[in-house]
Amino acid sequence: MKSSRIPAFILSLVLVFLYLPILLLVVNSFNEARYSSTWGGFTLKWYEALLDRQNRDLWDAAQRTLLIALASSGISMILGTLSACALHWYRSRLQRINYGILYLPIVIPDLLMGISLLLFLVALGVTLGSGTILIAHVTFCASFVTVVVLGRLQGFDENVIAAARDLGASKWVIIRRIILPLLAPGIVAGGLLAFTLSVDDYVITFFVTGPGSTTLPLKIYSMVKHSKDLPIINAISTLFLILTFLIVWLSQRLTEHQPNRDSP
Amino acid sequence: MKRLLPLIAAASLLASCGEKKPELHLYTWDDYLNPDLITKFEEEYNCRLVVDIFDSNEAMLAKLKAGATGYDVLVPTSYMVKVLAREGMIVELDKSKLPNLQHVDPDYLTSLAFDKEMKWSVPYMLAPTGIAYVSDRVENIEPTWRVFERADLKGRMTLLNDSRETLGAALKTLGFSINTLDPAQIGQAKDLVISWKKNLAKFESDQYDSGLASAEFFVSQAYAGDAFQAQEDNEKIEFILPAEGTSVACDDLVISKNAPNPELAYAFINFLTEPANAAANMEYIYYLAPNKSAYELVSQEFREIDSLFLDAETMKKCEVIDDLGENNKLYHDAWDLVRAAQ
Repeated sequence: MKSSRIPAFILSLVLVFLYLPILLLVVNSFNEARYSSTWGGFTLKWYEALLDRQNRDLWDAAQRTLLIALASSGISMILGTLSACALHWYRSRLQRINYGILYLPIVIPDLLMGISLLLFLVALGVTLGSGTILIAHVTFCASFVTVVVLGRLQGFDENVIAAARDLGASKWVIIRRIILPLLAPGIVAGGLLAFTLSVDDYVITFFVTGPGSTTLPLKIYSMVKHSKDLPIINAISTLFLILTFLIVWLSQRLTEHQPNRDSP
Repeated sequence: MKRLLPLIAAASLLASCGEKKPELHLYTWDDYLNPDLITKFEEEYNCRLVVDIFDSNEAMLAKLKAGATGYDVLVPTSYMVKVLAREGMIVELDKSKLPNLQHVDPDYLTSLAFDKEMKWSVPYMLAPTGIAYVSDRVENIEPTWRVFERADLKGRMTLLNDSRETLGAALKTLGFSINTLDPAQIGQAKDLVISWKKNLAKFESDQYDSGLASAEFFVSQAYAGDAFQAQEDNEKIEFILPAEGTSVACDDLVISKNAPNPELAYAFINFLTEPANAAANMEYIYYLAPNKSAYELVSQEFREIDSLFLDAETMKKCEVIDDLGENNKLYHDAWDLVRAAQ
């Protein structure tokens, strides 16, 4: 029987739809012309402009964004894993409510979350800045990690833990040698999700940011409105794209090798 | 306790040695201050200038209203200054701390500004809306909004996709005020825009500058900033102001009610109004700083941009678009009819 060509056709359409805009952005970052509608020749000037002292604040913003993303994904990996384990293993009448509460930040509109966080922080008298952005990002990132790790726990073979206990493993050994390695792909995947969400969050960050803590998405949004050097955005986005691909590639390698190492 | 005292004294001394420089927090638009001036101000006042950015007046207002504090100097657009003043979110300026206000262009203040006495705000930068065209593609362009009546340019012209700007151009053409509340005048303006519409490629606010640069469009109603940027890609682009007058947008400097460092805020506003600094700033931003003494200090080439250096005569014909509150509906309704017209 001849295989249908339709799936391949749809696949290529989807790929084009997803990746052509990104490809255009990369191409335009080397475009001499200011506007993407014309090709003005190959140039590296937008990358050079990135190194200018003038664009110091762009680097500051990029650095701040990365730091916040690393910290918030790190914290939410810990919190998310703990809460997923708690939700999965302990039974009480409150569990449904707990689950609902954890799920809420995922479904709640960003705008609502941003404003309520801002009102809350202001009422507490907290100084707005990178710290409050971190808190805000952890609040929604932790939920995503929880959901991903919970998914991993669904397929978790409880007998492994019972077997370990039979063989005299202590609680600590069970956590370190059995639970964590088995959950690792979920934790890493959740962490990566949290990282990307944190890097490109605009709405919530806009509300909880304070003086002197502009992040890259905030910077790029206002550059779009007002900047004279718009194509610089293409250049810095390309750099971020490379970084993202690197991280994804790295994480895939890590998760691929994880099971192999443990097998004899 | 007595033995502790010297220790405490030493500790506090240490703390004061490592004391951070005072900071001034500026909340403004992106790329809206010459970076050289940041360094200069930091050196002159031995402080740190931290610049934060917003992308719309409304976003800034929302954030401040929700209680965000820590910003000293804000740079809202004129109409937003009125809102901020009404809400009690900015301070009345103490002019004794701003000796450089004497340099501010009196023509601008009398003819265009909302805050003519500079009670709340000091004008920072202004830019008109005008007509940008590609000079090697079109012939004998007259400086008038009536260029949009030319059938020979059909399909090659754009007007802004903005009810107030576009109806404003028509109102000016008819000799009315941009901020008129007379439904009959707005109705006439609507009909005029509809008669222009058949010659247009489209109403376009974001992409017309790239369209001009690639000569896809020949004539566009354009913001000065966009037009000057497009010129960098296509030197054939010219930017002119229509003789009937046009709208001018102005951003102002104001001091937040809860500014952590009001003294430094005054120093900063005074610093920006210093003619040499205003000159350096406008050549960087490519807008006009309404600062009479600075006009003499900019380069010859920059000074010759007539569409930016509005003379007193032109200024009288121009207007700043005001926020009309509930009456905005008049314009929205007229605009809906324009959009629906065939």
